Amino acid sequence: MARYLLGRVLSLIFVLFVVSVITFALMHTVPGGPFDEGKQRLPDAAKANIMRKYGLDQPVWKQYLNYMWNALHFDFGIPYQVPTETVASLIAKTWSITFQVGLMTVTLAFSLGITFGMIAAYRRGSWVDTGVTFFATLGTTLPNFVVALWLILGFAYGLKLLPSGGWSEPENWLIPGVFSKDWILPVLAYALAPMALVARYTRASMVDALQSDYVRTARAKGLRDRTIMVRHVLKNAAIPMVTALGPIIPDLITGSIFIEAVFRIPGLGKYFVTSTFNRDYPMIMALMLLIAMLWGITYILTDLAYVALDPRVRLGGKMR
Amino acid sequence: MSRNRQWLLVSLIVLISMIVSACAPAATPVPPTAPPKAAEPTKAPEPTKAPEPTKAPEPTKAPEPTKAPEPTKAPEPTKAPAPAGDTTVYGTKLPADAAPYDMQTWVEPCDIKGNHITFDFQVQVYQRFCASDLFQDQLVNLDKDFNVIPNSAEKWEVSADGLTWTFHIKKGLQWSDGTPLTAHDWVATYQYIADPKHAWDFAWFYSGVLKNWDEIIAGEKPTTELGVKAVDDYTLQFTTKVPWPAFPAMMQFSFVLSKKQMEKYGPMYNSKVETSLSAGPFKLTKLEPGKTIEMVANEKYKGFRQPRLQKIIVKYMDMSTAFAAFQNGEIDHLGYEWISPADMEIIQKDPVLKKNYFPHFGDFRTDYLVMDTYTKPFNDLNVRKAFAHAVDRESIVKNVLTPIKGMPAYSFLMPGFPASDKEGKLKDLQKYDCKLAKEYLAKAGYPDGKGFPKLEMWLRNESPAWQAVFQAVAASISSCLGVQIDVSNKDYKVYMDALNAKPTKLQFGAISYGMDYLDPSNMLGIWLSTGRHSWKNDQFDKLVREASSMTGDPEKRTKMFQEAERILVDDVGGIFIDHRWLGDLFQPYVMGDCFRKPDSIGISAWHWGNDWCWGDFYISKDVTNYKTYRTK
Repeated sequence: MARYLLGRVLSLIFVLFVVSVITFALMHTVPGGPFDEGKQRLPDAAKANIMRKYGLDQPVWKQYLNYMWNALHFDFGIPYQVPTETVASLIAKTWSITFQVGLMTVTLAFSLGITFGMIAAYRRGSWVDTGVTFFATLGTTLPNFVVALWLILGFAYGLKLLPSGGWSEPENWLIPGVFSKDWILPVLAYALAPMALVARYTRASMVDALQSDYVRTARAKGLRDRTIMVRHVLKNAAIPMVTALGPIIPDLITGSIFIEAVFRIPGLGKYFVTSTFNRDYPMIMALMLLIAMLWGITYILTDLAYVALDPRVRLGGKMR
Repeated sequence: MSRNRQWLLVSLIVLISMIVSACAPAATPVPPTAPPKAAEPTKAPEPTKAPEPTKAPEPTKAPEPTKAPEPTKAPEPTKAPAPAGDTTVYGTKLPADAAPYDMQTWVEPCDIKGNHITFDFQVQVYQRFCASDLFQDQLVNLDKDFNVIPNSAEKWEVSADGLTWTFHIKKGLQWSDGTPLTAHDWVATYQYIADPKHAWDFAWFYSGVLKNWDEIIAGEKPTTELGVKAVDDYTLQFTTKVPWPAFPAMMQFSFVLSKKQMEKYGPMYNSKVETSLSAGPFKLTKLEPGKTIEMVANEKYKGFRQPRLQKIIVKYMDMSTAFAAFQNGEIDHLGYEWISPADMEIIQKDPVLKKNYFPHFGDFRTDYLVMDTYTKPFNDLNVRKAFAHAVDRESIVKNVLTPIKGMPAYSFLMPGFPASDKEGKLKDLQKYDCKLAKEYLAKAGYPDGKGFPKLEMWLRNESPAWQAVFQAVAASISSCLGVQIDVSNKDYKVYMDALNAKPTKLQFGAISYGMDYLDPSNMLGIWLSTGRHSWKNDQFDKLVREASSMTGDPEKRTKMFQEAERILVDDVGGIFIDHRWLGDLFQPYVMGDCFRKPDSIGISAWHWGNDWCWGDFYISKDVTNYKTYRTK
């Protein structure tokens, strides 16, 4: 097990290296740079000054080596967009907020999604099932920023129940330090789509499991429905669910520019977009590496989850 | 109570519409809003001469306001405002119809997707905070009619050879810590922006104009050699490379930094409340980028626009939520770029909103098509003429752009701009005439478009609304000429990189330009063969270069620019589509002669460069009839 894990971690490091090379090469191939010539061309000397200021006057391979050397010392540079911060401090500051949003979203989406999916599977064909399927379709087709605007119009401007934006603002705490009113709408808007996805997957894999022989056997044994659902059906249905749903998590905890902008959350989400538009090379690199790492970790965790769920699965590729 | 029920109903309708849309085949997600375009420098200008008031374009309808109109919905009278003084921090009295001083606040929205780092133009032009440039006054300013007027400088004169400009700075001006504002502050500022280490992002602006500018940028001379000198504390002297009559106009951008503060804390001293220093109408009290910015009236300010507002609050929000926030009384002013086409339709239909939307020239922006005239097929003038005559501008402006947002363009300079074609003399050169267009294309060897290469028309990261306009332009050309045009919206920097490359990598595209200062040398200068376009006409180059540095005979100078523009249109350097109308939406209780009273050609609006407005805005008593953030 430990050996297996070590191998996986080493391969993750290799993946990060490959990602860094590809990202670095790609972003320097795209035209433009950290300057704006939207009005008129800069004199050559002025442009050269800007390139020198950011160290972009050196050959790309040298820039890459410099970057990696510094990155290994946990110095990820200065973001061009916010030169008063370092990349590390900017990500630390904004990601801590985005992480909170993401964690709440994941909790809500998975708990409600799985519950609804289970009920729908159990009462297959009933009105509950139709309702869940219907809302699941709705959730996956509606973009979250449209939902977000509707929620603001309805609950903030219309009913005046909830604030239209902000994050943990002093005036919005319901229980200070525990729960803030301004968390509700963004998490709701953000969770709708993943919740729908989770509900659909849960329903589908549970319906599958419900029709299997071991369920019939369990029923014949006279086991209670609840026991069958949780111990046999859910556990067996969990493997396809983990495969399909695990990767939603890294997406959710790195934030969405739409949700964060609409609800005025000072999170990380917008930098995925603005870094690219502004050719903020240090920030692009850091974000790509962060995402790659999160995906890598998620896959390792997913594989570990298989072992926990299914005793037949052995890590390391050897079957017994 | 009934209001709540009403909203419950709305929520239900929303729910039902969600249901309906879910039943429909997978809804196409709305394309994400266009990324924030690099802000172009805010307002600026001057003319050697103000645009003659003869006849300038009228906005579809210049709304006439003056009186606060009634609100759409009968507003519930909210609680009476707390009694407060009617005297500002300057000891001046507020107008008779003004709300009490503690209600004289202003909330301005700011795009939350932007990354801003400075209040100062001289630090970085493209990453300025919202409501920037309020911490100092430039040497000059523009009045409502675009005349250059004294600001920090009380007067200026030029030497006989036209190379030395002397500005006399008003005595008694000061920074918010009581330090006098002097010519040395400007000298330090200009040496800072020329410094190669600073690598200023707007360095092209003084290139070829200020003495030794280009040499200093290139690191060949020290910054002390720059043609900006303090003769004494109150006399500032600029030396130009060539005579440059438009120089006072350029001084609209002469924002000043404090020499003392720069030496002590570095040039970004305004990005921290504690070290921030203001010689302008407001001073910084709170800075939380991404959340809020607050500034209050600077009681030490002695300039020409002592504000009636006691506080400005910048509120960060997403562009898609701004209009709803405005209607909810959370914002006092919305600029043009915040108003979506759908919002604009609401504004046009609502009598109150319509009355408080004030269209203006903006930066005299023109949209046009560019072509690489150095290579096939656009090296043939007949092809260019065919394309120019194939654009049905009138119909496109009427039906796609809508007249509140633009007017058809037949030349580059928007009517009203100095030396512009106000009489429409150039109109025939590019007007829509499909028959004529076909003749030209046939003459070029492509009868009915046969054999014409397929084109890709690039757009510069345009919003959906502008994409529609340029799609219509492409459709107009291809349906008339039988040529094939694909429209492709590109990343902003990819587009500019291709356009600016020499030789250019952009064969055919749509783009716009708005002035930096109100002189034809600025707008026409971009068409010089050394400029950003791939079009060359020796006679045009000669006329523009000569006129730009010609002193003594303004009338002849104007004539030369007019002749140059005629060449540009006739030789089809670009195909001109529309001149943009911009505008501002104010709350009905926002008052001020600066935008509610008409200028000399009858347009009531907050014109570009008229920074005096910040000293004129005030909130009327009428505000108590509305639900706003003030009464919460």
